[in-house]
Amino acid sequence: MLTPTDLVHIHLLLNHFPTVGMVVGFGLFLLALLKKSDDLKRGGLAVFFAIALISLPTYMSGYSAQKSLRGVRTVSQDLVDLHQRSALFALIFMEALGIVSWYGLWSSRRRARVRPAITAAVVLLSAVTIGLMGNAADIGGEIRHPEILSQSQAPISTEGVAAPRWLSSEFITRYQYNHPWAWKTLETIHFIGLCLLFGVVLVTNLRLLGWMRDAPLEGFHRLLPWGVWGFVANSVTGMLFFIGQAFQYIENPAFHLKMLCILLAGGDVLYLTWHEEIWEMERGAAAPTLVKVLAASQIVLWIGVIYFGRMLPYIGNAF
Amino acid sequence: MAFLRWIQDLPISGAIAESDSIWWGYAWWLFVHAVGMGLTAGIGFVVCLRVLGIGRQIPLSSFRVLFRLFWLGFYLNLLSGVILFMTDATGIARVWELYAKLVCLALALGAMSRLRRFIDSTENDASVPPAIRNTAVACLVLWLAVITSGRLIAYAVEARGTVT
Repeated sequence: MLTPTDLVHIHLLLNHFPTVGMVVGFGLFLLALLKKSDDLKRGGLAVFFAIALISLPTYMSGYSAQKSLRGVRTVSQDLVDLHQRSALFALIFMEALGIVSWYGLWSSRRRARVRPAITAAVVLLSAVTIGLMGNAADIGGEIRHPEILSQSQAPISTEGVAAPRWLSSEFITRYQYNHPWAWKTLETIHFIGLCLLFGVVLVTNLRLLGWMRDAPLEGFHRLLPWGVWGFVANSVTGMLFFIGQAFQYIENPAFHLKMLCILLAGGDVLYLTWHEEIWEMERGAAAPTLVKVLAASQIVLWIGVIYFGRMLPYIGNAF
Repeated sequence: MAFLRWIQDLPISGAIAESDSIWWGYAWWLFVHAVGMGLTAGIGFVVCLRVLGIGRQIPLSSFRVLFRLFWLGFYLNLLSGVILFMTDATGIARVWELYAKLVCLALALGAMSRLRRFIDSTENDASVPPAIRNTAVACLVLWLAVITSGRLIAYAVEARGTVT
């Protein structure tokens, strides 16, 4: 299982993806606009979706890095908090970009092009995300690279529009303690999202596996956004659990396995959304073997997500 | 109350409640209950969405096979639900959320059966009569109510404590 040091290394490795990766994705998307190439645009959207997925463990492993720096006298805890808040602010835009990108990929199948409104939203969101990610990375770098600070003695400002106070973990944790209904409401939404996501995953992948052969794939393609809304509900509520009680999750093996299942399932979703020809299959048509393998793996992975989620308090120590 | 006490004091109830096993202990049955929920409410959601016109290219008749999985989920949850209840019968029986859930569940099953009868009888997938659409809306709301009240049982039992 992953040790606390492994998790810090994961943070230091992954944190390059949301910054460098975003610049690459943005460049690709701008090139697509210049060349008026829809294929390149879809490539950019796929890159954004992938980075949005990777950004989740990037953010979460930050808590391990924070824990390892606790009590280190040369490290400013205010700076660590500011980095965390800025990173969460950037993450919100990153995830919004990931969802819009997925929607753009999904809807381009029927329209044979990426819609102008989606293109505009992607340009706007990715520009904002690059700025906020850069800011978060900059503050993160200062935590352990004091040589780049111009005035190392100057007090660090923890105010600023780039990191609203209500995004601090402390604020979110305290809010949940003071408002017991908040956790119950989040749990309820998390379970509803689970059902929506799991229902769509199950039905769609069973068709790919050969059930309901008399139905064309087109109809199942229309169901996909509903599964994604379920996932959106669960990632928002899930992140709020995580931020509220981060230290009972970061070293919890059940949580690591749950995240691994989510990332792998996210990879499946990207493949199945990218390959538009899968959804052109008419009634009676059978999917190729690779697609069947991915479909089966999706069902298994989402059951794994439910299993490790439910086991958080039992294999690990979360409640 | 004596009966609930008796159920709770059965050796098997205590063994499951106190077992650390991730294969047959309390945690395992919670997991089974969550998967059963995903099967019943999840398939319920998809069937209702289709009746309401989402994914209308799918012939409704091809959803018949899903009802087998739906009932598999239902029986999984009947079993796991009874087992979970046995581990704390006196505590769970005291919270009104349990009865709200059971009533909503019965109504949701009724709505699902009505949708199933429509799916079996229909020759023409294109038109869904308003009465059936209303059933689908009610069915969606009922599944939301079942999930919500079920989730709240755990908190209500915790808040009100168990009878000792």
